[in-house]
Amino acid sequence: MAQKRIEYAGNTFDISYTIDNPTAKRDIAILHGWGSNKELMRGAFQKCFATLRHLYIDLPGFGASSNSVVLTTQEYATILKIFLKTVHFSGDVVLGHSFGGKVATLLQPKLLVLVASSGILVPKPLRVRMKIALFKALKPVGAARWRSFFVAEDATTLSPVMYETFKNVVNEDFRESFAAFQGEALLCFAKDDTATPLYTAYEIERLMTKARVVVFEGDHYFFLNENLHVNSEVTRSLQMMES
Amino acid sequence: MKLAILFGGQSYEHEISIVSATTLKEKLCDFELTFIFCDQDHTLYLIDPTQMKAQTFSSGNYAKAPVLTLQQGGFVRKKRFGSETLTMPVLNVIHGGDGEDGTIAGLLDFYKIPYIGPRREASVFSFDKRYTKYLAEALGVKVLNYEILHKEGSREVTMSYPFIVKPSRLGSSIGVSVVKNAEALDYALDVAFEFDESVIVEPFIEGVKEYNLAGFSAKGVMHYSIVEEPQKSDFLDFDKKYLDFSRSATVHEADLDERSVTALRHNFKTLYDGLFEGALIRCDFFIIEGEVYLNEINPIPGSMANYLFKDFVSAITMLLEDLPSFNRIHVNYQYIHTISAAKGK
Repeated sequence: MAQKRIEYAGNTFDISYTIDNPTAKRDIAILHGWGSNKELMRGAFQKCFATLRHLYIDLPGFGASSNSVVLTTQEYATILKIFLKTVHFSGDVVLGHSFGGKVATLLQPKLLVLVASSGILVPKPLRVRMKIALFKALKPVGAARWRSFFVAEDATTLSPVMYETFKNVVNEDFRESFAAFQGEALLCFAKDDTATPLYTAYEIERLMTKARVVVFEGDHYFFLNENLHVNSEVTRSLQMMES
Repeated sequence: MKLAILFGGQSYEHEISIVSATTLKEKLCDFELTFIFCDQDHTLYLIDPTQMKAQTFSSGNYAKAPVLTLQQGGFVRKKRFGSETLTMPVLNVIHGGDGEDGTIAGLLDFYKIPYIGPRREASVFSFDKRYTKYLAEALGVKVLNYEILHKEGSREVTMSYPFIVKPSRLGSSIGVSVVKNAEALDYALDVAFEFDESVIVEPFIEGVKEYNLAGFSAKGVMHYSIVEEPQKSDFLDFDKKYLDFSRSATVHEADLDERSVTALRHNFKTLYDGLFEGALIRCDFFIIEGEVYLNEINPIPGSMANYLFKDFVSAITMLLEDLPSFNRIHVNYQYIHTISAAKGK
């Protein structure tokens, strides 16, 4: 692991990262999803992408990277851009899982690899919708006291700053940003994923000019098992771009 | 003979300390052992010897063990009715952080609990590689050239490649890189600065001969271990050193002539005398063109370097029989009494 201190909008961020395959000339930056960290991603992809320099990054507020302010997805991307410049990122490939996929899209790489990326709004399950309705109904009688019962699983252990950040980035309609993406895109989605269902991949494909959907077996974390398959699809995309 | 093994601590080497403690459980089975675990938040637990396995700590199960507090002379275990005081000397095997920076030394000194381990001054000089250089230079022990960089300062290194980058205050090769060219420097510094605010840069000498020598002083006599030539690739990385910490088999003595062994011992004694009494330490040296250079001092070596001693149990026994005494300053209020008397009160 390594750490770099960067400044953005008057705030300091200690960004924790790891580089593998340091002598390769082209780069892949790999971004984790909400509540995750670079070690999970590195566990999946360390042995992949042999021709690329791997940059595994903890997003601010996750893993070993610090964050003390409320951020938006756009700000995450801006901070990442500042960081990537300091490590002389080649700009070739960015792979992002789930929330990391949205940040990856804003980085405008030559090849964007979205792994079960969020960004297309999915109707909430009935159970969640009822919980929200109940919370709103009980608000006048002080439902805030039972907040921990109502808060999403992803948000229960968050610091106040990260909870506000979570509210900024969750349920964010990212269609415009997907449509604005100009490079090549590889959309890796899985059949049994309920967080970012397969149909959302096809919706992103429609929005983008040069996108290709590959369907995988598994759930939202399918890449942990299908890492080699993801690797071969990325290689294929790179070859297609060169020919 | 009673002995408490104190391990864990708030340190990057917390887990290595657990490995050391479990290794020592075997090597010191002749003693009446007590195991005291310091968790990362500084709570002390009395660990049942049967629970001395890595799993107990990684699973968090240690938290079910009785909590210990300190009082003058010993550890206190609260019981349903009253409390029990545990009095016995302590073997400090908290590597890095708390154990080697003087925190534990200060704590045990304050409570007058006898212990094997570096005292406060010894900790200061051996924990920070910069101060080790200063100490060695002051005592006439040779060290490699070095440069110091700070996290917020310039990243310019003037010595030529390849060189080695180390966090100033970390052991076990954590955060250490060999830098072979300018492209690799920035990342190596980011790796080291993750662990410390300052780093030390030294020339990396391909194939340099490295020799480890452990020892301690008891009743005015210095006792040395055998000299070991550690196996290495580029240098011992964390994984290799980690495995090293659980070592318990004895090693083969390095093939060295008598003159070199004498020179190593002479340098060891120069560093040890008057500073490290009460501790069993390991010094890692280089021999370059017949000259001895100090690489680093490990004031709490992994598994107490048991594998370097032919009779480790006697070594610990000898140390226990001659631990430094606590200087007690007797406050008798003589000055106040004199003034009061002069004022006629």
